[in-house]
Amino acid sequence: MNAILEALDRYAHWAARWPVLAALAPFVPVVALWWGVAAAGVFPRAFFPAPPDVFQSFLTLTYKGILPAYLEDSIGRLAAGVSVGILLGIPLGILVGLSGVARKALWPVLLFFQAIGDIAWLPLLLIWFGFGLGTMTFVIVYTVIFPVVINTALGVRSIPPELVRAAQSLGAPRWRILTDVILPGALPNIMTGLRNGLGYGWRALIAAEIIVGTSGIGFLMFDARRAGSAVEIVLGMIVLGLLWYVVDAWILAPIERATGQRWGLVTRA
Amino acid sequence: MKSLTLRNLHKTYFDPAVGTRVTAIQDVSLEIGAGEFVAVVGPSGCGKSTILNMVAGFLPATRGDIIVGDRSVKGPGRDRGVVFQNFALLPWKTVIDNVGFGLKMRGIPKPERDRIAMEFLELAGLSQAAERYPNELSGGMQQRAGVVRALANEPDVLLMDEPFASVDAQTRMTLQEELMRIWGERRHTVLFITHDVGEAVFLADRVVVLSKGHVLREIPITIPRPRRWDALTEDGEFKRLSAEVLQMVRAA
Ligand SMILES: Nc1ncnc2c1ncn2[C@@H]1O[C@H](COP(=O)(O)OP(=O)(O)OP(=O)(O)O)[C@@H](O)[C@H]1O
Ligand SMILES: [Mg+2]
Repeated sequence: MNAILEALDRYAHWAARWPVLAALAPFVPVVALWWGVAAAGVFPRAFFPAPPDVFQSFLTLTYKGILPAYLEDSIGRLAAGVSVGILLGIPLGILVGLSGVARKALWPVLLFFQAIGDIAWLPLLLIWFGFGLGTMTFVIVYTVIFPVVINTALGVRSIPPELVRAAQSLGAPRWRILTDVILPGALPNIMTGLRNGLGYGWRALIAAEIIVGTSGIGFLMFDARRAGSAVEIVLGMIVLGLLWYVVDAWILAPIERATGQRWGLVTRA
Repeated sequence: MKSLTLRNLHKTYFDPAVGTRVTAIQDVSLEIGAGEFVAVVGPSGCGKSTILNMVAGFLPATRGDIIVGDRSVKGPGRDRGVVFQNFALLPWKTVIDNVGFGLKMRGIPKPERDRIAMEFLELAGLSQAAERYPNELSGGMQQRAGVVRALANEPDVLLMDEPFASVDAQTRMTLQEELMRIWGERRHTVLFITHDVGEAVFLADRVVVLSKGHVLREIPITIPRPRRWDALTEDGEFKRLSAEVLQMVRAA
C-alpha cells in the first residue's frame, strides 16, 4: 500500500514538472488494453487493428500527403465556420443579454432552431448549396452560433448591475460600459459557449464531411469504410480525439486561466 | 466641493406582488452644504438606498429635484462618486486600474493616471496591492480601494451606501477612522447611508433620521474633530447623541 502511495507521489512530482507526461500517462492503460485485446486475436485483425497497424497507416497516409491535406481541409472549414459563428454569435448574445425586448423576441426562436439540430438541415442545405463549402460552413456556423449566443446572453445577465452603475458613476460612456464591463464580465460564459460550440461544430463537421465531403477527416473515415479499411477509421478517430485535446489544452484552457480564473469569476478545475 | 440639495423628492415603485404603486420616498428635502458630512439612518426598508440611488442617478425620481452646486442632475455622472456596500470593483482590472478607471474615462494618459492612482492608493495604505486583482484582496482592502476609486475621480459629492456593512467590526472601525482622516484633508460633501447609529454619530456633521420615506428629524453632531474611537467610546457627548438617535430610529 505504502509503495503504491509512494509511486503515486513520485508520479505527481514528475507530472507537475512534465505536463506532457501528465497528458500522456492516462492513455497508457487504454492503449495497453487495446493492444492486449488485439493481440489476443479474439477479432480478425482486419476488423480490429492493433496499435502498430494504425501507426503504420498513419505513417503511410502522412507520407502520401493525404492525412496532412485532409487535416488542413477539416481545420480550415472548422476555423471558417467558427469565426463566422463567433462574429455573429457574440454581438447577438450581447444584444439578447442587454435588451429585454430582444430577449423576449428572440429567445423562443433561438430555442426552436437550436432544437432542430445541425444534421437535420443537411437535406435542405444540399438542395440550396450542393455538395460544397457553403453547406459545410452553414452547418458549422449553425451549430456554433446557438451555444455562443445563449451563453453570451447568460454571461451578460450574470453581471452584477452594481458594476455597470459603478462604471457609469466614474464617467464611462455607453461604449466603454460595453468594452470594459459587459464584455469582460461575460467572457467566462462566452468561453463556455465557445468550448461547447467548438465541440458541437467539430462533430457537425465530421458528420457533414461524411455525407457531403470530398476531403477531410470525416471523408477519410467514410471512404475507408467503403474500402473496408478499419485501420484508417481508427486512425481518423484518434486524430479527432488528439485534435480536440490540442485545441482545448493549447487554446481554450490558457485563455480561461488568464481571464476568469485569475479574476476569481470561475473556480479552478 | 459643491453643495447637494434634494427638493421635494418623491419615489413610488410599482410592486408586482400587490399590483399597485407603493410610496418609498415621500417629500424628502435635504440641504447638504459644501464640505458637509451628512449621515442618513433609519430602519430597514425606510428608503435610504432609494434616496441614494436617485441622487446617484441610478433611479429616476418620481417627482422633485436633485441639485449639485447649481446644476440639476439626471442620470449617473462623475460629479457624484459612489461607494458601494459590496465594493463593485471591476474583477478583471487590477487595483490600480480600478482606481484609475475614472481618470481613463476622462482621457488622461496611462502614466499620469497611474501616478495619480498610486497617490490615492498610498493614502489608503494600498500601494503594495496595486497590481493585484480585487479577488486577491481582503474585504477591508477592497473597500479601501472602492473609496479611493471614487475619490481619485475628484467628485463634487461622495455618496456611500452602507460602505462598511460587509466588513468585520475591527476593520470597520479602522475604515471609519481612515475615512475621517481622508475626509479631514479634503472635505468632500458626503451623503452617507448607514443603519449603524454609532457609525453615523462618529462620522457625521449632521444625522438625518428617516422613517417610512420621510425625514423624521435632523440632529447636528457637535463633537469636535478629529474624532477617534478610543477617545470617543467613553465620551459623554457621544453617548448622549448616540442614545438620542437610537431612540428615534427605534421609534421610527
Ligand atoms: N425595485 C423595487 N421595487 C419595488 N419596491 C422596492 C424596490 N426597491 C425598494 N423597494 C421598496 O422601497 C422601500 C425602501 O427600500 P430601500 O431599499 O430604499 O430601503 P433601505 O432603507 O435602504 O433598507 P435597508 O436598510 O434594508 O437597505 C422598501 O419598502 C422596499 O421594499
Ligand atoms: Mg439599503
